[in-house]
Amino acid sequence: MDKLKIIDANEHFNPDLESQWIARAQQGDQKAFHHLYENYHRRIYALCWRMMADKDSAEDVCQEVFVQLWQKISNFRGESKFSTWLHSVASNIVLGHIRKNKTWLQRIFSIEEQTVEDATVEMPDCSNLDKKIQKLPERARLVFVLFAIEGYRHEEIATMLDMAVGTSKAQYHRARGLLRESLSE
Amino acid sequence: MKEMKQNNFEEKLQAELAQLPKEISPQRDLWSGIDKAINQNAAVATKTSPKKVFMPTAWAASVVAAVLLTWLTLSPEQSTTDQTINLASAMQQDFEQQKQIMLVNFGTPDIKQLPIAMQTELIKLSSAQKTISKALADDPNNSDLLNLLRWTQQQELELLKQLYSPQWQNI
Repeated sequence: MDKLKIIDANEHFNPDLESQWIARAQQGDQKAFHHLYENYHRRIYALCWRMMADKDSAEDVCQEVFVQLWQKISNFRGESKFSTWLHSVASNIVLGHIRKNKTWLQRIFSIEEQTVEDATVEMPDCSNLDKKIQKLPERARLVFVLFAIEGYRHEEIATMLDMAVGTSKAQYHRARGLLRESLSE
Repeated sequence: MKEMKQNNFEEKLQAELAQLPKEISPQRDLWSGIDKAINQNAAVATKTSPKKVFMPTAWAASVVAAVLLTWLTLSPEQSTTDQTINLASAMQQDFEQQKQIMLVNFGTPDIKQLPIAMQTELIKLSSAQKTISKALADDPNNSDLLNLLRWTQQQELELLKQLYSPQWQNI
């Protein structure tokens, strides 16, 4: 039997290797897709968890993201970085899930989400800032996470959340104000 | 969190944002559910114990040996097609790459730590691949040999997967 070649651990994150995994996953190779999952699921889970402020829902949606990724991966043409494309797909799936789970009353009257006082979320060990972000009202939290953590522009956020650019900016300032209050407590 | 002054809030916020972890591990295994979802139309894979793994592998190696013996006895015509040789070589390269990726993913385990019986199975498969590749050099257009090569490669990957992959939890 051929002697096994030892591969440096860093090769696991080699961009060339990632391109190969993507190409193979696009051809239906589940092993390659599993490599992509191993490489990205923690980042995607972090995004889902911060946006949804709920551990269990975030886990469910994270699974949904990867199931949909398997179905949509052939749409990735390499025009942007895979991680950027994946985050965009994930953000949209999370937002779709949040919209789907709104009650008819919330949809019709755009009733504001949980208040800071109402927020009861089950949180794993996380930083103090993360805890405060989790307690922000929904729209302020979504805008804050997308703008300050994920690096989207207000124009992009406005499109994603179906709101005016000014509203996105206002929600961001609102989030900052609430964070300032809660962090200085 | 220490008390924050309003005038340096922005700086502190930016510093805290920079320190937020980019990755968070979910508390439960998510892959098993994803795997089930993407394979929902496929046949349910049966769980095999290590002993059961050897039976098809040993059977596979025997079939390979028998087919090769027959093929060598019949001495097929010799015609060389670089394209087909390249195909066999590309298949072997691709297989080696997949194997390396799989082994790296399993933490680059030492094959020599496996029980002798498992090592023997892997050696048999590897030796069968070498013999098939040699035979393909003489008869590069033989599609049966190409299929046989692919099949032995798949058997080896499956065996490695079953030996090393962790058992995913069910949701």
